[in-house]
Amino acid sequence: MNRRNYLIRRALQALASLFIIATLLFFLFRMGLPDPTTALLAEGLSPEQREAVRQSFGLDQPLWRQYVLFLQNAVQGDFGFSFHYRAPVADIIWERLGNTMVLMVTAIVVAYVIGVPLGAWLSWRRGTRADTVGIFAGLMFRSAPMFWTGMIGILVFGVMLGMLPTSGMRTLPYESTGFLDKITTLDFLWHLTLPALVVALYYLGSPLLIMRNTMLEVYGEDFIEMARAKGLPERRILYNHAARNALLPVVTQLAVTIGLAAGGQVVVEVVFSWPGLGREILNAVRTSDFPLAQASFLVMAAFVITLNLLVDILYSTLDPRVSFK
Amino acid sequence: MTVFTRRLGYGLLVSTALTVGAFSAASAQERVPAITLGTTTEAYDPIRYEAAFIIAEKWRELGLEVNVQPTEFSTLLGRFYDQQDFDATIIGWSGRVDRLDPQFFLGTLDSRQSNPGGNNPGGYSNPEYDALFDAQGKEFDITKRQELVHQAQEAYVPDAPVIVLFYRDEVVAYNNTTFGEMNAMAGEGLYSEWTPMQAQPLGDRKTLRIGGPQEPDNINPLASTSVWGWKWMRLYYDRLVRLSPDVEPINWMAESVEAIDDTTINVTLREGLTFHDGEPVTAADVAFTFGYYQTQDYSYFNAYLAPVETVEATGDLTVQFKLKTPSASFANIALSQIPILPKHIWEGIENPGDLTPEQLPTVGSGPFKFATYNRGEIMSLEKNENHFRADDVAVDGVEFIIYADMEGVFTGLQTGAIDMTAWRMEAGQIPLAEQADHLNVISVPDFGYYHLTYNTKREPFGDAAVRRALTHAMDRERMVNVLLDGRGEVGTSVIAPINAFWHNPFVETFDFDMDVARAKLEEAGYSWDAEGRLVK
Repeated sequence: MNRRNYLIRRALQALASLFIIATLLFFLFRMGLPDPTTALLAEGLSPEQREAVRQSFGLDQPLWRQYVLFLQNAVQGDFGFSFHYRAPVADIIWERLGNTMVLMVTAIVVAYVIGVPLGAWLSWRRGTRADTVGIFAGLMFRSAPMFWTGMIGILVFGVMLGMLPTSGMRTLPYESTGFLDKITTLDFLWHLTLPALVVALYYLGSPLLIMRNTMLEVYGEDFIEMARAKGLPERRILYNHAARNALLPVVTQLAVTIGLAAGGQVVVEVVFSWPGLGREILNAVRTSDFPLAQASFLVMAAFVITLNLLVDILYSTLDPRVSFK
Repeated sequence: MTVFTRRLGYGLLVSTALTVGAFSAASAQERVPAITLGTTTEAYDPIRYEAAFIIAEKWRELGLEVNVQPTEFSTLLGRFYDQQDFDATIIGWSGRVDRLDPQFFLGTLDSRQSNPGGNNPGGYSNPEYDALFDAQGKEFDITKRQELVHQAQEAYVPDAPVIVLFYRDEVVAYNNTTFGEMNAMAGEGLYSEWTPMQAQPLGDRKTLRIGGPQEPDNINPLASTSVWGWKWMRLYYDRLVRLSPDVEPINWMAESVEAIDDTTINVTLREGLTFHDGEPVTAADVAFTFGYYQTQDYSYFNAYLAPVETVEATGDLTVQFKLKTPSASFANIALSQIPILPKHIWEGIENPGDLTPEQLPTVGSGPFKFATYNRGEIMSLEKNENHFRADDVAVDGVEFIIYADMEGVFTGLQTGAIDMTAWRMEAGQIPLAEQADHLNVISVPDFGYYHLTYNTKREPFGDAAVRRALTHAMDRERMVNVLLDGRGEVGTSVIAPINAFWHNPFVETFDFDMDVARAKLEEAGYSWDAEGRLVK
């Protein structure tokens, strides 16, 4: 199979997965979440009034009609109106996704920029105290729950030292003309520091450990022996020969991490009151806001699928040994 | 014979013996069927969850089989109100200001509201009570109405259909270095409509910052269905009447409110009122607003508008309300809840519920003007310098900072990012706030309540004697002391003691006493079988 056919097939597979996920999401939500108008009962609404609300949400339509409508609209990028906010779901999601991604991508970049070289270095110093400390730290941050590290961060840097803000993306109130305008300020960076640091520490462990372990495997390969035999300096062997070959699993991990990042780290977004997609999903489920919850999960799924596709394409470039089977 | 079959044999023998035993008991007396006690999940509300176990423990001591069933909240509501599929359920009513008028809470015991979806899912039915409920709803003489409301409470409490478990104090805090004159209001806490009008800035910042975990669903005055939407909107939409901090109706946009007869009310507006866009507020705006709400069938206000026949502008500043039936609560409640909308903006909008946030008008005539709303982040208002009470307002704006949870709100209070909490603090935060010098902690009694409702259409709860006995077995004192840490009051009637004018302090209290509970069951013809199970 040649490369073009392979790519077309992978793209079609991705679309099929997306369709299946959309279908599953629709029916799972209808089965799993109670009628959103139930919440209105607590407000003392009469049954007739509630029926009127159901009608205005389109919930009186048969399920299959709701499903067809949902698919039709989703294809056009229209996710309908949020029950709760009475606003177009697409607007909410894109805005929230931006807020989430700016936090997550910063954290992931920090984690990989530090983690990859550090992992390589640890493998070089394997068995030493530095290696032990490095592995321990990586594992610890990876295992420590983020709400806990987040709260410690808030307590120390926000409450005790009063150095960093503990919530939100900007000093409130602020005015901005758009997303870029919002995030290209020092004030935003100042707000970003603490949550990004907490997430970065969590993510640091993966590239660090994967890099270290893959490097150890690569050290056993013949071409490393060959490089040594040529009398190349150890540092050059480490970074130019071994590290390049150890990158493949790290790249996979990176793509998966970015893909999953679309949903945000709900915990971090809640702890830092970050107005991201993760926090929004939580709200949507709480308020039984089907359109918003469905669309959020669909966007997350699309993200993961797309990035997986990208990885497959990238693999074929990074590693010529990957064949198109 | 293998071990397995031998075991099976013994098992059969034992179970046969048990069945025979049970049947012989049944021939004389029957065991009271097992009871399912519905409550919230621990994650949703640990207090109601624990309360269920406190009750179940004592009911079991009385020889009942009790299953506590914690249920996801919406499902719990659905089973309770819609399907009425429950034995006994613990749930609650929040204390919204308009519920200080006894009409709403008394209505939850009205037999005509026991249809599915109605507010009386327990199905309590007492013609004497219904008559008193109707009479108080039509009585305009406030002293006579008070008497009727007191009688209604006396009529239902001894039947014990709905047990108010407790009224929970709302514990809130504010920063005493940034603002003074912060007065809490019953049922509203600090986040009442009066706080921004009364607060006195003590520092450089004159903008009052409120922090809370709740965000309004939307700020569309024809679509919002949450109390959080209205708590915010009422700061920039004015009303004809406002309820004072002591919950007395005071004329606000109205110069006078006159009841001509039982079904006719004349309202005269103040002179010189303007909307935030500079247009004058006239009687036409008032008449339009009420008519618009009626035609739009906006469910949130339907109950207030139900008695209205017509609303007509009879002059530039005079409006006449005609009611279908006399309604004692109309002048206080409906007039204090319906926001006056500018006719010139809304009259062209046919489907206001479909407005997107960008299309949504935000022009009111209230003491504050709408400034910004960034979903998930902040809402802000500016002082309206042209308001008739502008001279009394010391703050130059109000900001509501939206946090993801109460933890974030409390950190904001600690670091000075906000001046007050809009919502009750969590139990663990209260002592921390009390220790902080810059914070003042206030406990505000609530007139909303948590209740246990018996399904009177199911056995054994059709029998008032059983309900009364089981109520004596509820250790509500312990719930208040342990679950609320003493911050609350044991329940008496659906009209809370803090609502002093309407509350009847002389109703039966059903003090916790297991001996009384047992005696009452015996009196009612119940007894206990050999295993200690309640039988009749």
